[in-house]
Amino acid sequence: MNQPTRSSSPYVHNNQNVRKLMLQVQIAAFPALLMHIYIFGFGIVVQWLLAVATLLVVEYTMLKLRGRPVIPFITDMSALITITGLVFCIPPGAPWWIIVSGSTFALIFGKHLYGGLGYNPFNPAMLGYAFLLISFPVQMTQWIVPSEIAGYYMGFMDALQLVFMGHIPDISMDAITGATPLNEMRIGISQGVTVAETLNPLLSANDRSVHFMFGFSSWEWVNLSFLLGGLWMLYSRTIRWQFPVGFLGSLALMGFIFHAIDPNTYPPVDFVLLSGGTMLAAFFIITDPVTASTTPKGRFIYACGIGVLVYVIRSWGAFPDGIAFAIILMNIAVPLIDQYTQPRVFGHKH
Amino acid sequence: MNTSLAQRFIQKIALVYPTAKRWLYRFHGGVFPPYHKSLSLRQPIRPQLIPDRLILPLQQQVGQPAELLVEVGSYVKKNQLLAQSHKDANKDLVVPVHAPTSGFVEAIEAYSLPHASGLKAMSIVIKPDHKENAIDNVLNVNGALPETPQAIKEILFHAGIVGMGGAGFPSYAKLPKEKGKIHTLLINGAECEPFITCDDLLMQTKAHEIIQGAVIVADALGADKLLCGIESNKPEAIQAMQTAAAKTRVEIHIVQTVYPMGGQKQLIQELTGIEVPHNLHSVDLGLLMMNVATYAAIYRAVTFGEPLTSRLVTVSGLGLESPFNIQALIGTPFAVLANAAQPKVEIDYPLVMGGPMMGFQVQDNQVPVIKTTNCILANPPEPIEMQMPCIRCGECMDACPVNLLPQQLYWYSQSHEFDKVEKLNIADCIECGCCSYVCPSHIPLVQYYRHAKSEIKVIHAEVKAAEIAKQRHEFRLARIEREKLERETRLQAKKDAVKKQVADKLAQAGDSPESAVAPTQKSSPAVLAARAAAARRAAKSKATSTKDHNEPESDQLSPKTPVQEKMPTARRKAIEAAQKASEAAGTEKNPKTAAKNAAMAAAKKRALAKKQEVDAPPFESNDRPNETSTATSTEQRAANIPDVTDASQSTQTPDLTLDSTSEKLTKEVDDVTQNKRQKAIEAARKRARERQAKPPETN
Repeated sequence: MNQPTRSSSPYVHNNQNVRKLMLQVQIAAFPALLMHIYIFGFGIVVQWLLAVATLLVVEYTMLKLRGRPVIPFITDMSALITITGLVFCIPPGAPWWIIVSGSTFALIFGKHLYGGLGYNPFNPAMLGYAFLLISFPVQMTQWIVPSEIAGYYMGFMDALQLVFMGHIPDISMDAITGATPLNEMRIGISQGVTVAETLNPLLSANDRSVHFMFGFSSWEWVNLSFLLGGLWMLYSRTIRWQFPVGFLGSLALMGFIFHAIDPNTYPPVDFVLLSGGTMLAAFFIITDPVTASTTPKGRFIYACGIGVLVYVIRSWGAFPDGIAFAIILMNIAVPLIDQYTQPRVFGHKH
Repeated sequence: MNTSLAQRFIQKIALVYPTAKRWLYRFHGGVFPPYHKSLSLRQPIRPQLIPDRLILPLQQQVGQPAELLVEVGSYVKKNQLLAQSHKDANKDLVVPVHAPTSGFVEAIEAYSLPHASGLKAMSIVIKPDHKENAIDNVLNVNGALPETPQAIKEILFHAGIVGMGGAGFPSYAKLPKEKGKIHTLLINGAECEPFITCDDLLMQTKAHEIIQGAVIVADALGADKLLCGIESNKPEAIQAMQTAAAKTRVEIHIVQTVYPMGGQKQLIQELTGIEVPHNLHSVDLGLLMMNVATYAAIYRAVTFGEPLTSRLVTVSGLGLESPFNIQALIGTPFAVLANAAQPKVEIDYPLVMGGPMMGFQVQDNQVPVIKTTNCILANPPEPIEMQMPCIRCGECMDACPVNLLPQQLYWYSQSHEFDKVEKLNIADCIECGCCSYVCPSHIPLVQYYRHAKSEIKVIHAEVKAAEIAKQRHEFRLARIEREKLERETRLQAKKDAVKKQVADKLAQAGDSPESAVAPTQKSSPAVLAARAAAARRAAKSKATSTKDHNEPESDQLSPKTPVQEKMPTARRKAIEAAQKASEAAGTEKNPKTAAKNAAMAAAKKRALAKKQEVDAPPFESNDRPNETSTATSTEQRAANIPDVTDASQSTQTPDLTLDSTSEKLTKEVDDVTQNKRQKAIEAARKRARERQAKPPETN
């Protein structure tokens, strides 16, 4: 490590490095972040700042404890990607200790205990998310209702108060928090309400213009902004096409098949693709190269597996969104997938 | 040229999405490094430069060094043969060396080679006299074109031509012997490495020579198709080559500019669509590819009888003010050429031979230009980024032209799981450096693979050695068992015969009161008795003068044992001879302990005779490197001794009684023994010689 010059060929390099790669991911998340702020208010900003503070403390402590150089590893930006992924998953108004404990868990148990960057078998962000989902299910399902619906826009100070005090003065919590569309859907189905009824703004409880802005709901807009960032990452070769194509493809196929079988119980494809953290997962989470399969075929299989599992968990599991568990389950299968999807080496015709 | 619509479309896409260029060629991966080719293309080819001295290594290529023909102080003319290959050159890949200019041989000593390891090799140092006294047509060609592969191989061999693209495989050895075996001859004009432009300039200026050289080779080998691949970033070279090839059957193909397009297997696939299987050479498929510079050298050798004494070299790099190309004499020190290009700052960093992707830093900037030197690169060292852990991003895999999984190779190389590395086909890695070039973690991947490859080589050698040792051991055990049986039966027969003989003699001699004591077993009284008998018999001075025959015998035997597997019968004969001798001589034999003492004492007395007849030590030292054989010989020795004692035991009885008769007998037998021993030694020597001639298989 750390040789002053290259001792053997090649003596040139394309000047790409891990930090640039991670920063590209961070930049690609910006459209979604802005959309998030526009729709749900400044909650996410407070959460994100909290997470960054946690990150600095945790990374510094862990690198010191592990006897690693702090500056090069804390600036590799990989932890930033982890907490960004996590911040998008938790409710913007969740209490401060949610994101702090989640980030700490993700970084320590998801990354450092396995030997740091490059050695972790599970996606750290999803490990943190799963930890929070299991440990604090109530806090994790209380989403802020989009400002258009609640008729209230959460500013930065309000967000601070909400996160640290648990309430905003003069505002009823019930008015601004609610279930996510995914959760609503599963509640609706469990109560015998058909998919069509849940989705129909005229029939549902939230009849105050669910469909706003060019025919897309607020959640759909968040997902679309993730898609935008994802396409840019595909173009800049930060991520590989197999991940989003495999994941979204299999998820869409599952959605299509089951919606065709029973439209009353299973939501349509567009809802499946544009709700919850679908696009976040497709472009930002499952594309984490460390925990994903590395072979081209393997990546596709891995992504398809996640797509199927997400649909299964969403439709029949105990959690509204199964992304965390689907990804962790497929992480386990990665070594096996890699083993059996090795590409054909030049000159080796079978 | 005739780019298809799809290709043109992809090229359009590539303007906005550069990676789309990877869809334009047939092999996987590849990278698009900054080429910096214009640096050295700005100037025309420099006139020849004769340095103060030329260093000509005797070995410049894959294979063995050539045999020296000149001495220090001798005057040599340009093109004169300085070092030749011995008879079996084809086997050892020896390439002759010729003088690039006239002058005096200043020294013949070891010099650093332009090699990654910086190893030294015997070199001829010539001090040029700048007169350029040349021998014309040193190869004695008469203008007739070679018509058979053998004929052209002969010329290539005497001209000292090696593959000039970089690998440096002797060209004559690359050509097949049979006519018609090669159906397609390929010309490699891709030159995909950054900075290097010597092939480009050669094609621009000597297109005719290249094309004609290729046609000559194709005619001699009976190849009907001639394909030439040139990267699209050399429009002038393409133009010149197309003009030169106009009335020939050479087809010029423009190939995509991508590194490593110039790789032999990559360019073959690009030009013919054939993917050379991993276990075959392209020659096996009827394809032969050589570099443009090699064809030009072939043309000059065949037409003008010129040996390979100079070549076009690119002197380039970011550290030089005016990079150039030069027809450099083989043997010109790197530093002389680099300094001729006006270094921006003094060159205190190692120069690189070859391009930045696959070249290597030389250990000493005074190393000479050799036949494979296509480029001297002076790039000032730049600080590199710290190596980060692998994040499995897969960039390396996407860049690998052989479609390996570099990241997994690295993973297992790092953890020293070389069996897994091998399973991932590391043997197919061409060390092109694409993976290291794109690695965002700045891991020196190729370095890991080189290390893994050498480790795997060692492991294989060890496995092979162990296998051979095991076979030998088993064979030896079986042989010992068999011999023991044979010996026992033979011994029994001999015992009976001797007993009978003794009985007869006793009967003849008449009285023998002590014979009653005869059948003593191997015990201390017997030893004493033996000694006593011996002492009495040896009337002169030393007690053990003659009875030690068996001991030197076994000593002489032992050197033969290492080769015994090869000639079991011959060896057995030798053993038998020795045994017979010992049995015969052993009329006064002694038990084990006495024999050992005797050996020591005898050594002094018989030193002279021994020196003449046995040259045992040289044999032994020859065989010593082979550990197993030494072990065998000692065991064999141990096995021999009881034998001999057995034999002697049986003959103890007559010994004690028949002093005078046995002494005469011994003398006679002694002579016989000498003869037999002589024969055995001859045989052993012969075997040892054969053994030496043959390289040891074990390593």
